[in-house]
Amino acid sequence: MKMTKQEFLLSSHLSLPTLDLYIEQRWIIPEQTSTGVTFSDMDVARVQLIQDLRVNIGANDEGIDIILHLIDQVHGLRYALAQVQKKP
Amino acid sequence: MTNPYEILGVSPTASISEIKHAYRRLAKQYHPDLNPGDKAAEEKFKAIASAYALLGDEDKRKRYDAGEIDETGQERAQQHHYYRDFASSDQAHPYADASGFADFMNDEAFAELLRRSQQAQRNRRGQDLHYRMEIDFAESIAGANKRLTLPGGDVLDVTIPPGLLDGQVLRLKGKGAPGAGHGGAGDALIEITVLPDRRFTRNGDDISMELPISLSEAVLGGSVQVPTATGEVVMTLPKGSNTGTTLRLKGKGAPRRTGGYGDQFVKLKIVLPKSPDPDLEAFVASWEQGKSFNPREDGKL
Repeated sequence: MKMTKQEFLLSSHLSLPTLDLYIEQRWIIPEQTSTGVTFSDMDVARVQLIQDLRVNIGANDEGIDIILHLIDQVHGLRYALAQVQKKP
Repeated sequence: MTNPYEILGVSPTASISEIKHAYRRLAKQYHPDLNPGDKAAEEKFKAIASAYALLGDEDKRKRYDAGEIDETGQERAQQHHYYRDFASSDQAHPYADASGFADFMNDEAFAELLRRSQQAQRNRRGQDLHYRMEIDFAESIAGANKRLTLPGGDVLDVTIPPGLLDGQVLRLKGKGAPGAGHGGAGDALIEITVLPDRRFTRNGDDISMELPISLSEAVLGGSVQVPTATGEVVMTLPKGSNTGTTLRLKGKGAPRRTGGYGDQFVKLKIVLPKSPDPDLEAFVASWEQGKSFNPREDGKL
Protein backbone atom coordinates (compact mmCIF):
# COMPACT_ATOMS: atom_id res chain seq x y z
CA MET A 1 0.00 0.00 0.00
CA LYS A 2 1.28 3.42 -0.91
CA MET A 3 1.01 6.13 1.71
CA THR A 4 1.33 9.89 1.63
CA LYS A 5 3.71 11.54 4.06
CA GLN A 6 0.79 12.36 6.38
CA GLU A 7 -0.53 8.80 6.35
CA PHE A 8 2.97 7.49 6.87
CA LEU A 9 3.49 9.70 9.93
CA LEU A 10 0.30 8.27 11.42
CA SER A 11 1.06 4.63 10.83
CA SER A 12 4.73 4.89 11.83
CA HIS A 13 4.03 7.05 14.92
CA LEU A 14 6.88 9.35 13.96
CA SER A 15 7.04 13.10 14.39
CA LEU A 16 7.65 15.14 11.27
CA PRO A 17 11.15 16.31 12.37
CA THR A 18 12.15 12.71 13.12
CA LEU A 19 10.93 11.51 9.75
CA ASP A 20 12.73 14.38 8.03
CA LEU A 21 15.89 13.38 9.89
CA TYR A 22 15.54 9.77 8.74
CA ILE A 23 15.03 10.86 5.16
CA GLU A 24 17.96 13.25 5.41
CA GLN A 25 20.14 10.44 6.78
CA ARG A 26 18.90 8.32 3.85
CA TRP A 27 17.72 5.65 6.27
CA ILE A 28 14.29 5.96 4.70
CA ILE A 29 14.07 6.61 1.00
CA PRO A 30 10.53 7.49 -0.04
CA GLU A 31 9.47 6.93 -3.61
CA GLN A 32 9.27 10.02 -5.78
CA THR A 33 6.12 10.32 -7.83
CA SER A 34 4.56 13.11 -9.83
CA THR A 35 2.22 13.86 -6.91
CA GLY A 36 4.99 13.95 -4.28
CA VAL A 37 6.68 11.33 -2.14
CA THR A 38 5.00 8.06 -1.17
CA PHE A 39 5.88 5.48 1.44
CA SER A 40 5.33 1.73 1.62
CA ASP A 41 4.57 -0.81 4.34
CA MET A 42 8.21 -1.78 4.05
CA ASP A 43 9.16 1.75 5.09
CA VAL A 44 6.89 1.42 8.15
CA ALA A 45 8.68 -1.77 9.15
CA ARG A 46 12.06 -0.15 8.51
CA VAL A 47 11.10 2.79 10.74
CA GLN A 48 10.10 0.28 13.43
CA LEU A 49 13.53 -1.29 13.18
CA ILE A 50 15.24 2.12 13.40
CA GLN A 51 13.11 3.01 16.44
CA ASP A 52 14.04 -0.31 18.09
CA LEU A 53 17.70 0.39 17.46
CA ARG A 54 17.59 4.01 18.60
CA VAL A 55 15.16 3.89 21.50
CA ASN A 56 15.17 0.36 22.89
CA ILE A 57 18.65 -0.87 22.11
CA GLY A 58 20.32 2.51 22.48
CA ALA A 59 22.35 2.60 19.25
CA ASN A 60 23.56 6.07 18.30
CA ASP A 61 23.05 7.56 14.85
CA GLU A 62 26.47 6.53 13.53
CA GLY A 63 25.80 3.01 14.74
CA ILE A 64 22.43 2.96 12.99
CA ASP A 65 24.11 3.95 9.73
CA ILE A 66 26.43 0.97 10.00
CA ILE A 67 23.75 -1.46 11.19
CA LEU A 68 21.34 -0.59 8.38
CA HIS A 69 24.08 -0.86 5.80
CA LEU A 70 25.09 -4.28 7.07
CA ILE A 71 21.49 -5.50 7.33
CA ASP A 72 20.86 -4.41 3.76
CA GLN A 73 23.94 -6.33 2.69
CA VAL A 74 22.86 -9.42 4.62
CA HIS A 75 19.53 -9.36 2.84
CA GLY A 76 21.32 -8.95 -0.48
CA LEU A 77 23.42 -12.00 0.34
CA ARG A 78 20.43 -14.00 1.54
CA TYR A 79 18.64 -13.18 -1.69
CA ALA A 80 21.65 -14.26 -3.71
CA LEU A 81 21.94 -17.49 -1.76
CA ALA A 82 18.25 -18.23 -2.20
CA GLN A 83 18.63 -17.78 -5.95
CA VAL A 84 21.60 -20.13 -6.02
CA GLN A 85 19.63 -22.69 -4.07
CA LYS A 86 16.79 -22.56 -6.59
CA LYS A 87 19.09 -23.36 -9.51
CA PRO A 88 19.30 -27.06 -10.37
CA MET B 1 4.84 -17.88 29.07
CA THR B 2 7.46 -18.42 31.73
CA ASN B 3 8.63 -16.19 34.51
CA PRO B 4 9.70 -12.81 33.07
CA TYR B 5 12.60 -12.61 35.52
CA GLU B 6 13.94 -15.85 34.10
CA ILE B 7 13.44 -14.66 30.54
CA LEU B 8 15.54 -11.59 31.20
CA GLY B 9 17.94 -13.60 33.35
CA VAL B 10 17.71 -11.29 36.34
CA SER B 11 16.88 -11.93 39.96
CA PRO B 12 13.49 -10.86 41.34
CA THR B 13 15.30 -8.22 43.38
CA ALA B 14 17.09 -6.73 40.37
CA SER B 15 17.11 -2.93 40.10
CA ILE B 16 15.41 -1.15 37.22
CA SER B 17 18.78 -0.39 35.63
CA GLU B 18 19.84 -4.04 35.85
CA ILE B 19 16.60 -5.00 34.12
CA LYS B 20 17.11 -2.40 31.43
CA HIS B 21 20.68 -3.53 30.91
CA ALA B 22 19.63 -7.18 30.63
CA TYR B 23 16.89 -6.28 28.18
CA ARG B 24 19.24 -4.30 25.94
CA ARG B 25 21.77 -7.10 25.90
CA LEU B 26 19.14 -9.67 24.93
CA ALA B 27 17.39 -7.38 22.47
CA LYS B 28 20.66 -6.87 20.62
CA GLN B 29 21.16 -10.59 20.52
CA TYR B 30 17.66 -11.63 19.44
CA HIS B 31 16.17 -8.72 17.49
CA PRO B 32 14.66 -10.46 14.43
CA ASP B 33 16.12 -7.85 12.10
CA LEU B 34 19.55 -8.54 13.48
CA ASN B 35 18.95 -12.26 12.86
CA PRO B 36 17.28 -12.32 9.45
CA GLY B 37 17.53 -16.08 9.05
CA ASP B 38 16.68 -17.28 12.52
CA LYS B 39 12.96 -17.99 12.85
CA ALA B 40 13.29 -18.74 16.55
CA ALA B 41 14.70 -15.29 17.19
CA GLU B 42 11.29 -13.72 16.68
CA GLU B 43 9.66 -15.82 19.42
CA LYS B 44 12.53 -15.17 21.78
CA PHE B 45 12.50 -11.47 21.04
CA LYS B 46 8.74 -11.30 21.65
CA ALA B 47 9.16 -13.00 25.00
CA ILE B 48 11.99 -10.65 25.92
CA ALA B 49 10.01 -7.60 24.81
CA SER B 50 6.92 -8.54 26.79
CA ALA B 51 8.98 -9.47 29.83
CA TYR B 52 10.54 -6.03 29.63
CA ALA B 53 7.17 -4.37 29.08
CA LEU B 54 6.19 -5.88 32.40
CA LEU B 55 9.36 -5.47 34.48
CA GLY B 56 10.56 -2.24 32.87
CA ASP B 57 7.44 -0.49 34.11
CA GLU B 58 7.66 -0.07 37.86
CA ASP B 59 3.92 0.03 38.32
CA LYS B 60 3.26 -3.11 36.28
CA ARG B 61 6.18 -4.86 37.94
CA LYS B 62 4.68 -4.14 41.38
CA ARG B 63 1.33 -5.54 40.29
CA TYR B 64 2.99 -8.60 38.82
CA ASP B 65 5.01 -9.18 42.00
CA ALA B 66 1.80 -8.84 44.01
CA GLY B 67 0.13 -11.41 41.78
CA GLU B 68 -2.42 -8.96 40.42
CA ILE B 69 -1.57 -9.63 36.81
CA ASP B 70 0.01 -12.65 35.19
CA GLU B 71 2.91 -12.77 32.77
CA THR B 72 0.65 -12.47 29.78
CA GLY B 73 -1.45 -9.74 31.35
CA GLN B 74 0.36 -7.11 29.37
CA GLU B 75 0.85 -9.08 26.23
CA ARG B 76 -0.55 -7.05 23.41
CA ALA B 77 -1.92 -9.12 20.56
CA GLN B 78 -0.44 -6.68 18.14
CA GLN B 79 0.55 -7.87 14.74
CA HIS B 80 4.09 -6.91 14.12
CA HIS B 81 5.74 -6.93 10.75
CA TYR B 82 9.47 -6.93 11.04
CA TYR B 83 11.58 -5.29 8.44
CA ARG B 84 13.05 -8.66 7.47
CA ASP B 85 9.58 -9.77 6.34
CA PHE B 86 9.87 -7.25 3.54
CA ALA B 87 13.59 -7.17 2.90
CA SER B 88 13.95 -10.92 2.42
CA SER B 89 11.25 -11.20 -0.20
CA ASP B 90 12.12 -12.12 -3.76
CA GLN B 91 11.02 -8.73 -4.99
CA ALA B 92 13.61 -6.13 -5.75
CA HIS B 93 13.27 -3.25 -3.28
CA PRO B 94 14.91 0.14 -2.84
CA TYR B 95 17.08 -0.89 0.10
CA ALA B 96 18.59 -3.92 -1.59
CA ASP B 97 22.35 -3.85 -1.32
CA ALA B 98 24.56 -6.12 -3.38
CA SER B 99 27.90 -4.84 -2.10
CA GLY B 100 28.19 -7.90 0.13
CA PHE B 101 29.00 -10.06 -2.91
CA ALA B 102 30.24 -7.53 -5.43
CA ASP B 103 33.59 -9.32 -5.48
CA PHE B 104 31.90 -12.49 -6.79
CA MET B 105 31.08 -10.63 -9.99
CA ASN B 106 33.41 -12.83 -12.09
CA ASP B 107 31.11 -15.77 -11.56
CA GLU B 108 28.37 -15.82 -14.21
CA ALA B 109 25.61 -16.88 -11.88
CA PHE B 110 26.43 -14.18 -9.38
CA ALA B 111 26.83 -11.57 -12.06
CA GLU B 112 23.24 -12.22 -13.07
CA LEU B 113 22.04 -11.97 -9.48
CA LEU B 114 23.95 -8.78 -8.97
CA ARG B 115 22.33 -7.24 -12.00
CA ARG B 116 18.92 -8.15 -10.70
CA SER B 117 19.37 -6.82 -7.22
CA GLN B 118 20.97 -3.70 -8.53
CA GLN B 119 17.88 -3.09 -10.61
CA ALA B 120 16.26 -1.62 -7.54
CA GLN B 121 19.28 0.51 -6.76
CA ARG B 122 19.14 1.97 -10.21
CA ASN B 123 15.99 3.76 -9.14
CA ARG B 124 17.45 5.51 -6.15
CA ARG B 125 16.56 9.12 -5.54
CA GLY B 126 19.45 11.56 -5.75
CA GLN B 127 20.94 13.21 -2.68
CA ASP B 128 19.72 16.50 -1.29
CA LEU B 129 22.41 19.15 -1.61
CA HIS B 130 22.85 21.96 0.90
CA TYR B 131 23.87 25.51 0.04
CA ARG B 132 24.05 28.89 1.73
CA MET B 133 23.17 32.23 0.24
CA GLU B 134 23.27 35.85 1.43
CA ILE B 135 20.64 38.39 0.47
CA ASP B 136 20.31 42.00 1.53
CA PHE B 137 17.56 43.33 3.74
CA ALA B 138 15.48 44.87 0.96
CA GLU B 139 15.51 41.57 -0.97
CA SER B 140 14.30 39.72 2.11
CA ILE B 141 11.26 41.99 2.33
CA ALA B 142 10.38 42.51 -1.32
CA GLY B 143 11.54 39.18 -2.67
CA ALA B 144 14.05 38.81 -5.49
CA ASN B 145 15.33 36.58 -8.22
CA LYS B 146 18.86 35.51 -7.47
CA ARG B 147 21.37 33.31 -9.15
CA LEU B 148 23.54 30.93 -7.17
CA THR B 149 26.76 29.68 -8.74
CA LEU B 150 27.45 26.14 -7.60
CA PRO B 151 30.92 24.76 -6.84
CA GLY B 152 30.82 22.82 -10.09
CA GLY B 153 30.21 25.97 -12.12
CA ASP B 154 26.51 25.34 -12.71
CA VAL B 155 24.08 28.07 -11.83
CA LEU B 156 20.84 27.77 -9.93
CA ASP B 157 18.07 30.34 -10.28
CA VAL B 158 16.58 31.02 -6.89
CA THR B 159 13.34 32.88 -6.37
CA ILE B 160 13.37 34.60 -2.99
CA PRO B 161 9.78 34.89 -1.78
CA PRO B 162 8.86 38.23 -0.16
CA GLY B 163 9.14 38.39 3.63
CA LEU B 164 11.82 35.75 4.05
CA LEU B 165 13.41 35.57 7.50
CA ASP B 166 17.08 35.15 8.33
CA GLY B 167 17.98 31.46 8.57
CA GLN B 168 15.04 30.17 6.55
CA VAL B 169 15.73 27.28 4.19
CA LEU B 170 14.42 27.21 0.64
CA ARG B 171 13.84 23.84 -1.00
CA LEU B 172 14.25 23.63 -4.75
CA LYS B 173 12.60 20.41 -5.80
CA GLY B 174 14.69 18.23 -8.06
CA LYS B 175 17.71 20.59 -8.06
CA GLY B 176 19.87 18.32 -5.93
CA ALA B 177 22.08 15.48 -7.07
CA PRO B 178 20.68 13.44 -9.96
CA GLY B 179 19.01 10.18 -9.03
CA ALA B 180 19.41 6.86 -10.73
CA GLY B 181 16.86 5.44 -13.15
CA HIS B 182 13.38 6.55 -12.23
CA GLY B 183 14.53 7.62 -8.78
CA GLY B 184 14.45 11.32 -9.58
CA ALA B 185 16.91 13.98 -8.49
CA GLY B 186 17.26 15.13 -4.88
CA ASP B 187 16.43 18.64 -3.75
CA ALA B 188 18.63 21.68 -3.31
CA LEU B 189 18.28 23.11 0.20
CA ILE B 190 19.40 26.72 0.43
CA GLU B 191 19.85 28.36 3.80
CA ILE B 192 19.33 32.09 3.51
CA THR B 193 21.29 34.64 5.52
CA VAL B 194 19.75 38.11 5.53
CA LEU B 195 22.50 40.74 5.75
CA PRO B 196 21.71 43.40 8.34
CA ASP B 197 20.84 46.90 7.14
CA ARG B 198 21.96 49.71 9.46
CA ARG B 199 18.79 51.66 8.74
CA PHE B 200 16.17 48.99 9.35
CA THR B 201 15.29 46.56 12.13
CA ARG B 202 12.72 43.87 11.57
CA ASN B 203 10.24 42.95 14.32
CA GLY B 204 8.08 40.15 12.98
CA ASP B 205 6.23 41.62 10.05
CA ASP B 206 6.96 45.21 11.09
CA ILE B 207 10.05 47.23 10.31
CA SER B 208 11.36 50.02 12.49
CA MET B 209 13.83 52.76 11.62
CA GLU B 210 15.11 56.06 12.96
CA LEU B 211 14.70 59.16 10.78
CA PRO B 212 16.82 62.26 11.43
CA ILE B 213 14.86 65.51 10.86
CA SER B 214 15.89 69.14 11.03
CA LEU B 215 14.69 71.60 13.64
CA SER B 216 12.57 73.48 11.13
CA GLU B 217 10.95 70.24 9.87
CA ALA B 218 10.19 69.39 13.49
CA VAL B 219 8.69 72.75 14.32
CA LEU B 220 6.90 73.57 11.08
CA GLY B 221 6.11 70.08 9.80
CA GLY B 222 6.24 69.25 6.10
CA SER B 223 6.98 66.45 3.65
CA VAL B 224 10.07 64.27 3.98
CA GLN B 225 11.47 61.43 1.90
CA VAL B 226 11.66 58.19 3.88
CA PRO B 227 13.53 55.10 2.71
CA THR B 228 11.61 51.83 2.93
CA ALA B 229 12.61 48.32 1.94
CA THR B 230 10.66 48.78 -1.28
CA GLY B 231 11.91 52.27 -2.19
CA GLU B 232 11.51 55.86 -1.03
CA VAL B 233 8.13 57.20 -0.02
CA VAL B 234 6.99 60.69 0.98
CA MET B 235 5.78 61.08 4.54
CA THR B 236 4.03 64.13 6.01
CA LEU B 237 5.46 65.36 9.30
CA PRO B 238 2.88 67.05 11.52
CA LYS B 239 3.77 70.40 13.06
CA GLY B 240 5.61 70.08 16.36
CA SER B 241 7.05 66.60 15.72
CA ASN B 242 9.44 65.72 18.53
CA THR B 243 12.43 63.43 18.95
CA GLY B 244 11.01 60.04 19.88
CA THR B 245 7.71 60.61 18.08
CA THR B 246 6.94 57.45 16.10
CA LEU B 247 4.97 57.63 12.88
CA ARG B 248 3.53 54.65 11.08
CA LEU B 249 3.78 53.95 7.36
CA LYS B 250 0.96 51.51 6.88
CA GLY B 251 1.66 48.47 4.75
CA LYS B 252 5.37 49.20 4.27
CA GLY B 253 6.51 46.22 6.33
CA ALA B 254 6.98 42.58 5.37
CA PRO B 255 4.12 40.50 3.95
CA ARG B 256 2.06 38.76 6.62
CA ARG B 257 1.38 35.03 6.44
CA THR B 258 -2.26 35.79 6.97
CA GLY B 259 -2.34 38.22 4.05
CA GLY B 260 -1.62 41.93 3.91
CA TYR B 261 1.55 43.62 5.06
CA GLY B 262 3.17 44.76 8.27
CA ASP B 263 3.94 48.42 8.91
CA GLN B 264 7.06 50.51 8.99
CA PHE B 265 7.52 52.51 12.18
CA VAL B 266 9.54 55.69 11.79
CA LYS B 267 11.01 57.12 14.99
CA LEU B 268 11.97 60.76 14.63
CA LYS B 269 15.22 62.30 15.87
CA ILE B 270 15.81 66.03 15.72
CA VAL B 271 19.32 66.93 14.54
CA LEU B 272 20.70 70.46 14.84
CA PRO B 273 23.02 71.88 12.16
CA LYS B 274 26.60 70.74 12.62
CA SER B 275 28.12 74.21 12.87
CA PRO B 276 26.60 76.70 15.33
CA ASP B 277 24.29 79.14 13.56
CA PRO B 278 24.40 82.75 14.82
CA ASP B 279 20.83 83.47 13.62
CA LEU B 280 19.45 80.45 15.47
CA GLU B 281 21.35 81.44 18.60
CA ALA B 282 20.03 85.00 18.40
CA PHE B 283 16.48 83.74 17.88
CA VAL B 284 16.56 81.27 20.75
CA ALA B 285 18.10 83.93 23.04
CA SER B 286 15.22 86.28 22.27
CA TRP B 287 12.54 83.54 22.52
CA GLU B 288 10.81 84.27 25.82
CA GLN B 289 8.64 81.16 26.10
CA GLY B 290 11.58 78.88 25.42
CA LYS B 291 13.19 80.09 28.63
CA SER B 292 10.23 79.22 30.81
CA PHE B 293 9.66 75.72 29.33
CA ASN B 294 11.41 73.01 31.37
CA PRO B 295 11.16 69.51 29.84
CA ARG B 296 12.43 68.00 33.13
CA GLU B 297 9.51 69.36 35.09
CA ASP B 298 7.07 66.50 34.64
CA GLY B 299 8.67 64.46 37.40
CA LYS B 300 10.48 62.00 35.17
CA LEU B 301 13.89 63.13 36.36
